[in-house]
Amino acid sequence: MLDADVEVDRREFTVRAAFQVAPGERLALFGPSGAGKTTLLEVIAGLVPPRRGHIELGGRVLTSTAPPVRAVPPWQRRVGLLRQNPDLFPHLSVRDNLCYAPSASPSAAELSSLASLLGIEPLLAAMPARLSGGQAHRVALGRLLLAHCDTLLLDEPYTGLDASLRRTLTHLVASLVAERSVPAILVTHELTDAQAFADRLAVLDRGAVLQVGAPDEIVLRPASRRVAELVGYLGFVPSGQTVAGVHPERVIPGAFGDRGLVLTGTVTACRPAGAGWEADLSVGDAAVTCRLPDKPSASGGDIVVTVLDPPYFGSDGTVSSVPAKDGEARPEQVRGL
Amino acid sequence: MSTFVSVAGTGIIWLALLGPVIALLSHLSWNAITKSLTAPGALDPLVISVESGLVTLGVLFVICTPLAWMLARGKLPFPRVWETGVLCSLLLPPLVIGLLLVFMVGPYTPIGSLLADLHQSATNTFLALVIAEVYESAPYYVLGAQSAFASVEPRLEQQAGLLGDRPRRVFRRVTLPLAAPGLAMSLSIAWARAMGAFGAVIIIAYNPMGIPLQIYTTLQETGLASALPYALVLLVVALPLPLAAYIWSARAGRRRRG
Repeated sequence: MLDADVEVDRREFTVRAAFQVAPGERLALFGPSGAGKTTLLEVIAGLVPPRRGHIELGGRVLTSTAPPVRAVPPWQRRVGLLRQNPDLFPHLSVRDNLCYAPSASPSAAELSSLASLLGIEPLLAAMPARLSGGQAHRVALGRLLLAHCDTLLLDEPYTGLDASLRRTLTHLVASLVAERSVPAILVTHELTDAQAFADRLAVLDRGAVLQVGAPDEIVLRPASRRVAELVGYLGFVPSGQTVAGVHPERVIPGAFGDRGLVLTGTVTACRPAGAGWEADLSVGDAAVTCRLPDKPSASGGDIVVTVLDPPYFGSDGTVSSVPAKDGEARPEQVRGL
Repeated sequence: MSTFVSVAGTGIIWLALLGPVIALLSHLSWNAITKSLTAPGALDPLVISVESGLVTLGVLFVICTPLAWMLARGKLPFPRVWETGVLCSLLLPPLVIGLLLVFMVGPYTPIGSLLADLHQSATNTFLALVIAEVYESAPYYVLGAQSAFASVEPRLEQQAGLLGDRPRRVFRRVTLPLAAPGLAMSLSIAWARAMGAFGAVIIIAYNPMGIPLQIYTTLQETGLASALPYALVLLVVALPLPLAAYIWSARAGRRRRG
């Protein structure tokens, strides 16, 4: 179990977070760049001292600012940190990189089976400069696994890799975390990476944890307008005393009043997006972006769409209870002016 | 055409830089070399120079390597102040360094008195020669070694620590091997400077006489022709280490590139 409760001063704000990650559990810290996510990992790894805090890993107190004060140095923490740059030692071969940790003394069979699991078996004699980005990441991951770390901290490790490689590595790490039963934390500003990896997702912004929950719950039921903005809601349409959040991927063409909020808007722009189309709609004073399976009629025309079960926010940005479906408080249809 | 111009231009500059060496080789005769170097005691200055050069390298490595590392890692407060100190001894003319060393370690100074109590002297002794060579060559080593350490990515040291290595072990297993080619180059440049040290040496260590002073006195006493063989000896002794360091660091670079 990784148990952290820390406060770290940064130049612009203080990062405050308290969370527990169970053995085998995968937590994703999601938030924009500069939110303080990496700082949290560095505090856990012992690279940055917290102003106040208590960190325990597997029953060992790593950091405590309250008496008895404790600050275990990084080399005794058994914390594995994988960053965006794999940081392989350039003067050592792949094999020597894998076996670098003093605690790593794998048998030939163990080394070979790990290398084959990671798909780097033919590269054991190669020097890091010869590896591609994906191969280097696999070696760095293997090095952490052979070091028998008590927790895995992943700091945007897949940035710069192509989508299919990210998917493969994410699944690989997820299965290894489960197999080794260690707590793992992924820091990322990519929501899809966080969702693909995590059992639980924490949204961090300017040092504060805004919401913690299941990956789907965070997107479908954001706790505040700020969380909604961070997880991809691109439009906010006034609806009575509240505003409804519109996620582009939670919009379907047509009017289905029983499934959500029906909007009529004017198409102001339209472009291909993946296998479908992304359209910008003008709904009254609000601008809404939505993903549609078919290309909407020419720009300037009106279309009717339904926002599936949208979250509603009050004027203070906090989530508002969803008005009764048939009540007057909830306008089922907002007409573009 | 443009390639031809570039190659020709570079060739002319290259030949001009090598000019003194070419002149030396073209003005030497085998007879002059054997006559000068086979005289009794003729190679004593060479032995003195090599011995003092090796001691100087040892002193530089032990004392200046940690300083260079601390400068590179910003471990010292007011880093610019420290760097300026190192640059000072680089910018001072060697002759001036020699004069100032007299005021620092001469017989009538506190350090000189202390040395006298230990039955040592820092004037016209082997110790004085080493001190002069250290002062003339130290900045070349410190600045080169600082740059070699600065080229080692601190994240790699951090990662080695997180994998369980204590700082000293990180230094031995990561920092030193990665900085080694740069350190070797700086050490060999310092060696060449120490072997050729003249300005400070002539002031505080006229004796025992190393190769540079031997060249100077031979030139004064018997002329250019008899001094040239010693110049060749100086080149032959001073150059192999830098060349070996260059070849080794190039090979280390190739090995890292796979």
